[in-house]
Amino acid sequence: MKNILKSCLHSPRFMTGFILFIILLGIALFYPLFHPGNPLQMIGQNSFVEPGTYLSLYDANTVNLNGKTSTFIMDDAAVNRADSNISEADRQTMLAYLAAAGVDVSHLDTSHENLDSLVTLWQENYDSSKKVEGYTTSAKKRDLRTLNSRLLAALNAGEQTLLTKNGDEEVRTAVANNAYVRSNQVANVINLPLGTDNFGRDMMKELAAAIGTSLIIGLIAGTIATILGLVIGLLSGYLGGIVDDILMFVCNVFTVIPGFVLLILIYYSVGQEARGVTTCAIVIGITSWVWTARSVRSQVISLRNRDHVNLSKLSGHSLVRIIVTDILPYIASYVVMAFILQVSSGILAEAQLSLLGLGPKTTTTPTLGLMMNWAMLYNAHTQGYWWAYFPVIAVIALTSFSLNLMNTGLDQVFNPTLRD
Amino acid sequence: MSKGYRKYFKKKIFWFIITFIVAVMLNFFLPRMMPGDPVNAILSKTLGNTTDAAAIQKQYEVYQQAFGLDKSLPEQFLIFCKNAIRGDFGLSFSQYPRSVSDIISSSIGWTLALQIPAIIVGWILGNVLGAVAAYRRKIWDKVVMPVSLFFSAVPAFGAAVVLLVIFGITLKWAPVNGAYDPGMIPNFSWEFISSVIRHYQLPFFSIVLISIGGQAVGMRSMSIYELNADYVKYSRFLGIKDKKIVRYVFRNAMLPQVTGLAMSIGSSVGGALVAETIFSYPGLGSTMYKAITASDYPLISATTLIITVMVLIASFLLDIIYAFIDPRVKAAQFD
Amino acid sequence: MAKKMLEVSELTTKYITRTGENVYSVDHVSLTIEEGKSLGIAGESGCGKSTLALSLMGYYFAPLHYTSGTIVVDGKDITGLDPDVVRKTVLGTDVAYIPQAAMNALNPTRKVGKFIEDVIRAHELPMDKKQIREMAEQRFALLGLPVDSLDKHSVELSGGMRQRVVIAVSTILNPKVLIADEPSSALDVTSQKMVIKMMKDMMAKGLVKSMIFITHELPLLYNVTDDIMVMYAGQIVERGTAHEMVFDPVHPYSRGLMRSILVPEEGTRDVKLTAIPGTPPNLKHPPAGCRFAERCRYATPACRYNQPPLLEFAEGRSYRCMHSVDHLKEVYEGED
Repeated sequence: MKNILKSCLHSPRFMTGFILFIILLGIALFYPLFHPGNPLQMIGQNSFVEPGTYLSLYDANTVNLNGKTSTFIMDDAAVNRADSNISEADRQTMLAYLAAAGVDVSHLDTSHENLDSLVTLWQENYDSSKKVEGYTTSAKKRDLRTLNSRLLAALNAGEQTLLTKNGDEEVRTAVANNAYVRSNQVANVINLPLGTDNFGRDMMKELAAAIGTSLIIGLIAGTIATILGLVIGLLSGYLGGIVDDILMFVCNVFTVIPGFVLLILIYYSVGQEARGVTTCAIVIGITSWVWTARSVRSQVISLRNRDHVNLSKLSGHSLVRIIVTDILPYIASYVVMAFILQVSSGILAEAQLSLLGLGPKTTTTPTLGLMMNWAMLYNAHTQGYWWAYFPVIAVIALTSFSLNLMNTGLDQVFNPTLRD
Repeated sequence: MSKGYRKYFKKKIFWFIITFIVAVMLNFFLPRMMPGDPVNAILSKTLGNTTDAAAIQKQYEVYQQAFGLDKSLPEQFLIFCKNAIRGDFGLSFSQYPRSVSDIISSSIGWTLALQIPAIIVGWILGNVLGAVAAYRRKIWDKVVMPVSLFFSAVPAFGAAVVLLVIFGITLKWAPVNGAYDPGMIPNFSWEFISSVIRHYQLPFFSIVLISIGGQAVGMRSMSIYELNADYVKYSRFLGIKDKKIVRYVFRNAMLPQVTGLAMSIGSSVGGALVAETIFSYPGLGSTMYKAITASDYPLISATTLIITVMVLIASFLLDIIYAFIDPRVKAAQFD
Repeated sequence: MAKKMLEVSELTTKYITRTGENVYSVDHVSLTIEEGKSLGIAGESGCGKSTLALSLMGYYFAPLHYTSGTIVVDGKDITGLDPDVVRKTVLGTDVAYIPQAAMNALNPTRKVGKFIEDVIRAHELPMDKKQIREMAEQRFALLGLPVDSLDKHSVELSGGMRQRVVIAVSTILNPKVLIADEPSSALDVTSQKMVIKMMKDMMAKGLVKSMIFITHELPLLYNVTDDIMVMYAGQIVERGTAHEMVFDPVHPYSRGLMRSILVPEEGTRDVKLTAIPGTPPNLKHPPAGCRFAERCRYATPACRYNQPPLLEFAEGRSYRCMHSVDHLKEVYEGED
């Protein structure tokens, strides 16, 4: 046992998988601790809010009203402002105008680095009265004028004036373009590392909870499938005869009938009301034991006539004792590996079911599959809201990747011949 | 036909029939264990707020008869079997009064045309990759192995969504929705066919991508086993070129992969059908999805039955083909 | 004097293990076989006889590597030739090989006739499909094999038949030297007899010019080969005619080996069976002195520090031991 643990620690594959798994588990366990609250609470009024930190505008303004701002003179403040206010299309218009006006812009593009020189060139060469080929119609001229004024506003605005109403009293406050507020001073800040989903729910909180739920589903399904497979495989392999024939008959039938179809049929027949997380896990478990049973059986058959087993039989040991002391230890490593694979395929099965709209009925906790289902239902993928589906896919892939890595790592530890 | 073949075919046909019967029974009885009355469920949908008890009762009986629910369960099963043989699966709840077989026959072709080529191409690519990996093991163990482990961990729908976003939405290389341009009426014009081909690409490649990983891993270990076989050494010492020997090895490793495909098709078909729904491809996967969301249980029952039957036939055919292309089958039957 | 078909001198080959260690499993082996003669090589498993068989073909691939020495087949030195030239011009034609596990030596998915075609093609002989087929049919008929087995896969043939097909395929190009590595060990007695008869037959018909027969079953050697050579730990320890080796072995190892086996010949019936205790040494770290000293009941301290050379003590007879022949014979007589 000690040796096995040691060689596991020395197997880079196992360790990579293990560390990945621990990280995912850590997110599921600790993120909710630091960010308590209902993961399905709808905080946003808009759907699919981009990831980022959101400062309450009202509270930021209050800080300004209270005069608690700090002033910073930053060289690049204007450029940064221009950068975030002058769109890619604007820059292309500017380049095209300059080129038409006979300015050499071949060394420039629309990138951030070039914005400074672009703006300088623009200021030097833009003249609303000048006749530039292709920009003579009044509509074109108007477009250029509004672009120019937007540019000037972004670059030169000395101050904005805010009108605050407090009862009947109206207060005018100047907001200087070099005034800053500390984010801690703003009373309400919302951190949304993964934005929100279509219902305005914090994706990160949801994801952390979903990892937890999906792992639980995987564990329950994996445990059930492994126990069923182990028991059936043991009985079938050790007893042989009619028991073996019957069990293998069942196994053969269920190998060909798609597990997925079976899953749908059983799951559908338990009825909508009963379809909780646990039911989902149990149904997945009882439809996926076939491969485990098959392999356990073939291993048991090869063990059945070994000397130590025969010795036990001759000594009159009971069936249970022979299985527990003479057979289980030899297939334990295999069972552990099968279990790991079952957990991973249980998580995948839940995701697949949920995508078809057969996910667990739950109002308290999300699962990875349900999150994926919601994202698809609200077309997050076709509208470019990557944060609503990509993290979910990545987490599912990473979870089963980590489990598969652990599995191949264990395989190398248990079956050293595979090493060359 | 030799004795070995006969024994093999008898065994396969026996299993095909037994599995078929069990599948049909499961398919019939499992959904009927569903708690609650399906007719009530439809009534509440179709009648809405009607409170007239007599009208409800009348409509209830109409539906009961239409769906044959007024008979005993074994009787229903016999009727179900008789009807199923004639291709009659009753009426759809959600698309009432459209018949289930009508809905299915309009989607089955799309699924077959999509899944069969995709699974075959995925199988071939996976085997080639696995063979190369077995032959060049250093590259495999350092690079290909972890990468393919990661890719095989990506769920089927995940791969489909990522392909859809990258190639369909961002790069706009191919359309992402349906099997042909909306508004077109299926016909044999070049315009329609090219539209079908354009819509075919993304679902096709995502299913190919899904099936490569598992095949590659299986083929690799099979090839390594064959590379160490006695005939490799013997052929070498007879002066046969390494190139030719490699061909022997991969042929011998690839043939059992045919039965491997027969065994795994049942477990991989789920992912492939879910991929259909991502692209709203009008095949059985999408039909099933629609049926599930609408609680249309005659349609669910029929789609699951058709899928099961198709998988059964596919794996049966693969087993038969395998017997003809691999002479080792005959030997195994003499044991 | 008859023509020398195979002349090997000081051949050394090694295995390179995964950890990079060199294991010399054939260590300075020299041997000669004349036309029409056969040589048996005997020894326990792990003493290097199979490796010697592989090494004699001049075609090496990992983990086996050529180190030094020469192999001359019918006057042609095949060492140092380009591997592809060896493949084309030596394998199958000069030196042919019958593998240890001939039961599984045929590609299970290739028909025997097709496989013969592949063999002929590999040597770029100017024959078309029809000619190859005719030649194969003639050869099978000559060797008493059913011609229809050419159209069968190996899995459709019985074990004994498979073995005989392998022999026929191996010798299809009339090799000058045939190396057979335990060709009959996995067979039942009847099949064994047929295989032996077939090999003798081929020698008699001149299809094979000379033969090396490797086995651990000594009674077979006595019946089949002219000479016998005993190997231990990668080295030759004794060589002589089959009769001499069976009735008058000199080296303690040969003696132990011969006496652990019943030879069903007159005069040997009442010889007691004695197994040799212990196992051959690990060749990763060969002993400094005589390699057999560890297991030898006559070993003296000097044996553990000195390597005895292979000495010729009579016409065609040599041995590798610190003790003199007379001394050994005296000791043996005292025992009986």
